[in-house]
Amino acid sequence: MTAREEAGPILKISDLRVTFHTYAGDVKALNGVDLTVRKGEVLGLVGESGCGKSVTSLAVAGLLPPNAELESGTITLAGADILKMSREEIRQKRLTDIAMVFQDPMTYLNPVLTVGSQLLEIITQEPKLFLPALVRHRLEEIGPEGKEAPALAAERERLLSISRGGRPGRKEVERLARQYVVSTLRQVRLPDPEKVLDMYPFELSGGMRQRVMIAMALVRRPKLLLADEMTTALDVTVQAQILQLLRELRKEIDASIVLITHDLAVVAEVCDRVAVMYAGNIVELAGVEELYSDPLHPYTKGLLASIPRVDSARTRQVSIGGSVPNLLFPPSGCRFHPRCPKAFGKCPQVKPPLVEVKPGHLVACLLYEE
Amino acid sequence: MKLIVYAIRRLLLMVLVLFGLSILIFYLTRGLLPPNFALAPYVTPRMDDAARLSIARSLDVATSSCPSYTAFVDQQAGCIVPLWGQYFKWLTNVLSGNWGYTLLPGIAGTDSTLHVFFSRFPYTVELALTGAFLAIAIGIPLGIVSATHNNRLPDHVARIFSLGGYSVPQFWFGAILQIVFVLYIRVNGVGLLPASGALSTTCTICFADPGTIGTFTGFPIIDALASGNIPYFWDALVALILPALTLAITSIGALSRIVRSSMMEALRQDYIILAQSKGLKDRLVVYKHALRNALLPAVTVAGLLTAYLLGGVVVIEIVFSWPGVGNTALVAAEVLDINFLELYVLVTAVIIVAINLGVDILYAKLDPRVTY
Amino acid sequence: MAEEARNRNSRTGRWADVRYMLHLFRQNPIVLAGAVISAASVIIALMSGLLVSSTYWNHITPGASLCWNNQLIDWHIANVFNCGGPVYPLGTDLYGRGLLQMIIVAIPVDLQIAFEVVASAMIIGTVLGGVAAYMGGVVDEIILRATDIFLAVPGILLAIVLLVVLGRTIPVLTTAVLITWWPFYVRLARSQVLSEKEKLYVERLKATGASGPRILFRHIIPNTIYPILIQGTLDIGAVILTVSALMFIGLTPDPKYPELGNLAKQGIQYIFTAPWMILFPGLTLLIISVGFNLLGDGIRDVFDPRLRR
Repeated sequence: MTAREEAGPILKISDLRVTFHTYAGDVKALNGVDLTVRKGEVLGLVGESGCGKSVTSLAVAGLLPPNAELESGTITLAGADILKMSREEIRQKRLTDIAMVFQDPMTYLNPVLTVGSQLLEIITQEPKLFLPALVRHRLEEIGPEGKEAPALAAERERLLSISRGGRPGRKEVERLARQYVVSTLRQVRLPDPEKVLDMYPFELSGGMRQRVMIAMALVRRPKLLLADEMTTALDVTVQAQILQLLRELRKEIDASIVLITHDLAVVAEVCDRVAVMYAGNIVELAGVEELYSDPLHPYTKGLLASIPRVDSARTRQVSIGGSVPNLLFPPSGCRFHPRCPKAFGKCPQVKPPLVEVKPGHLVACLLYEE
Repeated sequence: MKLIVYAIRRLLLMVLVLFGLSILIFYLTRGLLPPNFALAPYVTPRMDDAARLSIARSLDVATSSCPSYTAFVDQQAGCIVPLWGQYFKWLTNVLSGNWGYTLLPGIAGTDSTLHVFFSRFPYTVELALTGAFLAIAIGIPLGIVSATHNNRLPDHVARIFSLGGYSVPQFWFGAILQIVFVLYIRVNGVGLLPASGALSTTCTICFADPGTIGTFTGFPIIDALASGNIPYFWDALVALILPALTLAITSIGALSRIVRSSMMEALRQDYIILAQSKGLKDRLVVYKHALRNALLPAVTVAGLLTAYLLGGVVVIEIVFSWPGVGNTALVAAEVLDINFLELYVLVTAVIIVAINLGVDILYAKLDPRVTY
Repeated sequence: MAEEARNRNSRTGRWADVRYMLHLFRQNPIVLAGAVISAASVIIALMSGLLVSSTYWNHITPGASLCWNNQLIDWHIANVFNCGGPVYPLGTDLYGRGLLQMIIVAIPVDLQIAFEVVASAMIIGTVLGGVAAYMGGVVDEIILRATDIFLAVPGILLAIVLLVVLGRTIPVLTTAVLITWWPFYVRLARSQVLSEKEKLYVERLKATGASGPRILFRHIIPNTIYPILIQGTLDIGAVILTVSALMFIGLTPDPKYPELGNLAKQGIQYIFTAPWMILFPGLTLLIISVGFNLLGDGIRDVFDPRLRR
């Protein structure tokens, strides 16, 4: 086991059940989700639309809508139980530990505020919280002692005195925050970051907007980054750029990433491990290569088989029969059984637990029950 | 720079609209009334027929070939200048400040229409401005509270209040206020607040002897402050409360509805979720992110509300015997003082159009997506 | 799917929509309350001739002027005149006429004027707005500038001028209020048609050679009529308030005229000695206005697809 695997998981979700109370009835969106995210890893969470991937991430961030009811389960982030926290405590967690990046930057960025305004507000809301990071960052920028211009030397002195307990003025804090934000924009490879700060979202391209959203997450140095369909709204070339950015960033930042997507190709590019989700359950969880070479769950097999391949001899598109179940009236037992080619007697009666069938490879299927 | 070009374009449009309005009003009044009505503000009762005829000619209402005053009154053929000719002379006159003498009973012929109008106009403006202030200060927060407590008790209460606000007849609401605060809530034999007038000494919280003030701006409240006369200032302010509230009540209802629905719309948007996910406090999310977007539709209504307030003063001034131009307009209507009414209409139109222009520019500044 | 069907032939499929709407109405308490109140006022209006003689308002009984003999309400005012004779449930007015009876006679008057104004405004506004949006260019500019001109003046002022010049009759009053209201409908209809005419089916209709007016009036306008109807319902309350306000300030054909604002006008002088004169007509106006506003609100909520549960 590597050092990374030895450290405890950054996120542990156990038996999470969430129901939405709608006027049409109760939608049983999450049916006992079990998931762990290890420190420093990139975990892919795949599944079709409506399987509950977004709901899971919103639950972790404490952002479920008012009509959602958390029936049972626990969510532990770095040891702290999220579900027991007050609104204010969760908000604090969102500020420092959990960051989300969403699908469509056009609708998720406020159209009437500048990019700078939407970035700086994170810091200026509670400047004391970020001050050490701002100071440290600027000191790093200035560089080691002795090599810099005299003006910067004075600045270093000032910064050191702040870090020893000095109280910066508001203008100073704003300046530091701005420098910090600019360098974060540079970190997401945005050209001309100073200019971008004063622009409005509609003036940027789709890829640039998405980088801004990523920057909003990075600014907080989160422990956990939840990327909910981050590339879905982008066209393919931009998608590739963003994924490349993600690959580069994970070397630079110290966060665990959950990459939620319905696109298996995306998962293959960036992720260490993959969790497959179906109708509110995790049905399979394994390392990326392991999953692609040896899928165990019938659903996973169906998904992988349905990817069109140029080098395959097949000429007809294969798909999984049937359609995604209506979660108002979900199937009993294993929710996949109506569409499963391998379903047998016990499947409609028992919900299969997620068990480790091979080292590092978990499946929730009665076929592998011993 | 582009904003200035936009503003100038709108300004020119504004002038065009005002011209169009002046033509409309002119036709409505001069075109539909016998021509001797146009003379009334410019003649005194003692003038003889020859004098009247010469005035009629100088106003371009009677032609120079008209034989006699009687022929003019009978509208004999060839005696009356066509309407468009009358219009140009009228326009020249009014733009140079010649609105003739007032026809109001008691002061007819002794005071100019302009003076009569503008000596009373400050009272109406005070009333309208206070009403506007109340409408915004009460209506917008009411809508915000409604939206942020959607479907809970504060929302229901606020909605009932705002429904009542824009359903209530203003004159009735004013009467209710008077009955409650003057008739039923009495201390030492006088009502709590004044029943009428712009300055009252007979209410519980009024000063009995406010003294006098100098004339600086013509606006009593400002002049009182400028004269250092606090009792007067207070009495004038207290007298404003009930009338301004009555004037504002419909706008409060309308504004809170609009703000409520646009706030609810804004709070449903995706950028609110992102803002929350960034760990922003609720207050920041609501007031910075949601409100900025929600106020845009409310701003567009501002022009309409101005028109409504400036028209509503007529009723309010009657109910509260307020010495402004709205009150006078009705007296003018009785004696057919067309000039006064025309002046009132055009001054009000200038204000409304100017505010619309300001609102458009404000909107363009608030919403960066607007191109101009 | 419904949109598709609508676009193919823009007039089928609407009855199914209507039936679904009616079903939603029954579930929505606000609409119900509004509908009940509005219906009640219309019914009273229609039956008013049966309840009270239609010439009642012309009879003057000086001896019973400004009296209150309904024992159920005590006004706590000194010197309330207690006339003998029949009990007037809401007291009497200046001319000795029973206030309750006067209100019953006045309701149909107000409602009729309001309906006429709203209906005319909707028609004129829809036609002008639709033509402006569809034809664009100079026609659009002219019509827009015309609405600008009318919107630059408060309605009451224009109405005063008209009534002064043309005489204080009911038709002039109706026209005066109509002139205040039509610009809103022109703008509303115009923006509706503007977005509707970009839709695909219009392109198709043009390709089949349908003429402009036919496309506009047979297809586009029926598809955009809902918001206009909703606005009309919402406006009935506001129009009644405007009409009564105009009468209140004195622009009536006859001081005895049976109209709610006119009745209140008498009351303003006697507000501290006979408050019922202004209170009850105003209360009636409030109730009618609330009824139609609730109805309009409810209809709009039901028709708004985003709010549909």
